[in-house]
Amino acid sequence: MRRKRMINNAVKNGLLALYAIFALFPLFWMVLISFKSDAQMFNTTFFFDPTLENYEAVLLRTDYFKYFFDSVIVSVIAVLISVLAGVPAAYALARYDFKKKEDLAFTILSFRFAPEILVVLPLFMIYQKIGLYDTYFGLIWVYQLITMPLLIWVIRGYFEDISVEIEHAAMVDGYTWWQVFLKRLLPLIKPGLVSASLLAFIFAWNNFTFPLMLSGTKVETITVASLKYIASDTVHYGQMAVAATVSALPAVIFALLIQKHLVRGLSFGAVKG
Amino acid sequence: MAKIELVNITKRFGKFTALDNVNLEIKDNEFFVLFGPAGAGKTTLLNTVAGLVMPEEGVVKFNDEIMNKVDPSHRNVAMVFENYALYPNLTVYENIASPLRSPLYKKDDATIDKEVHRVAQILRIDHLLERLPSQLSNGQKQRVAIGRALVRNPNVFLMDEPIAHLDAKLRHHMRSELKEMQSSFNSTVIYVTHDFLEAVSLGDRIAIINEGKIIQVGTREEVYYTPCNEFVASLVGEPEINLVDGRLIADNGKYYVEVLQKGYMLPLPENSGIIKKLIDSGTTEYHIGFRPNNVKYTFEKKEGLLRGTVYSFESIGNKAVLIAKIGDQFLRMIAPNDLKVKLDQDVYVELPINRATFFNAQTTQFIGTSDEAAIYRLVQEQLSKGVQ
Repeated sequence: MRRKRMINNAVKNGLLALYAIFALFPLFWMVLISFKSDAQMFNTTFFFDPTLENYEAVLLRTDYFKYFFDSVIVSVIAVLISVLAGVPAAYALARYDFKKKEDLAFTILSFRFAPEILVVLPLFMIYQKIGLYDTYFGLIWVYQLITMPLLIWVIRGYFEDISVEIEHAAMVDGYTWWQVFLKRLLPLIKPGLVSASLLAFIFAWNNFTFPLMLSGTKVETITVASLKYIASDTVHYGQMAVAATVSALPAVIFALLIQKHLVRGLSFGAVKG
Repeated sequence: MAKIELVNITKRFGKFTALDNVNLEIKDNEFFVLFGPAGAGKTTLLNTVAGLVMPEEGVVKFNDEIMNKVDPSHRNVAMVFENYALYPNLTVYENIASPLRSPLYKKDDATIDKEVHRVAQILRIDHLLERLPSQLSNGQKQRVAIGRALVRNPNVFLMDEPIAHLDAKLRHHMRSELKEMQSSFNSTVIYVTHDFLEAVSLGDRIAIINEGKIIQVGTREEVYYTPCNEFVASLVGEPEINLVDGRLIADNGKYYVEVLQKGYMLPLPENSGIIKKLIDSGTTEYHIGFRPNNVKYTFEKKEGLLRGTVYSFESIGNKAVLIAKIGDQFLRMIAPNDLKVKLDQDVYVELPINRATFFNAQTTQFIGTSDEAAIYRLVQEQLSKGVQ
């Protein structure tokens, strides 16, 4: 019996380890080639002469940090605005009954249906006309299409799981509506808020189509800027790997910081009770 | 510590009318029970008093002051919610302390600590203070919810079925505890229940509510002995009152009612006033109510008794309910627990016409009772003592 369980566990862990390798290998490979010189790029696998040449080339000899901070500004502000506008919207959709409520909720969700490439051309023309092309504001605005629907739908579910009597109880206890919201409701939706914000941030950070089409040289995000490492004659894989590795860091750090909430967040709102 | 007045309150949810022109006056320091079946509008009425629900029409007054525009936090009411409504992220201690930490009713930490422990002791949850609501049983959750109300000193306690989920023994304990607390606190309580025993044991006065309308308001004696219609009669009392069809028959200056079987006549007591009331009622068809504890039965054949068969025999604790079938009518009566009885055996039933309640068969409204004088005395006695 005990032996059987041990074998069982070994098989389980073995499979999980296999999957972990499968999932992590591309990342590992990316980090690996960021240390390879162009000369060794194609004729070595694991053993080569590590070099920091690529890092030097990308981080010091290009405007990499400008692109990086453009990305940070656009993504962070886009998520913040989504949180500020999305949480009240989610509350309204969860709590109040108004005409066409479900239609409105569905419309918000449907922003995620259309492929970005489909809407980006008309947006490009509009942006050109009204002067939003190549501005922070323009990108932050269009990023709401990516970040807001996700946030609203996740948070709405959380609000729906909180029984309205909890709000009533808090009001009767002597809290005003704002205090009820901040002190009693916010702690309850925090896991959802945190996980949805993280996902929204990753989506915004990784977005390529919108910054490619709707911004030029003044605002350049890292996803678009990474293309620069494809030269006319050759592709600098090492430099691209550096750009990708560094740009993956914010999401990884963000995720590690909020991991505690994230794990709970993805399971809490799902089941009623 | 306030007189509560509801004037012409109407509340609709879409097309559904939850409260229909409700008028109530709840006296200062009164233990007022709202009693009715599920979906009657009891909770909506409570929410209206708390300010959680805005009535479409009507006025809510606390001590003659109109409260319609005052938000729930400023009404100074304490409420126990039927589904507990505990804050899941806070410990039992913090849940109970919540009102005392709010900006409006803020107290210092020492007072909070003292109050929370005092209340926890009464409710027997002092060993659970560090737990989260998810680690409690339903009964314990309910006591925490009561505790959150009891730490305060509000205008009125609003309790929505606060002890419905407790086990029988604890419910009994809490019932007396609540009653005692109310008299020592000098506070007004509005208490919602669908349990008849709770209603009569706790309420100074009881309001019976059905389909959004107040049917009758009165002391427990009034609603029990002089129910204003059949609905109240069948709601108040356990087991339920027996209602049988009856017809008034006059014969040689004497009056009888014919019940159940053709030719089975019960003489109406003379000089009781009921005869005049029945004649004045404008109908000769009645529904006559007999309380199960007044119905007598025997297993020996006797002249003048109704013959039926035993339909069921069910123990309800210290007594039992015997149901006899006569024709297609069922009669409930109280029997001792150790009664030896076989199903379908013959039983002879005597209907106590001297303790009968008469209702108009068409309108189901109360006409009178056959022992009016006795009941009148009883009710008067209650009234003269005053509502405590």
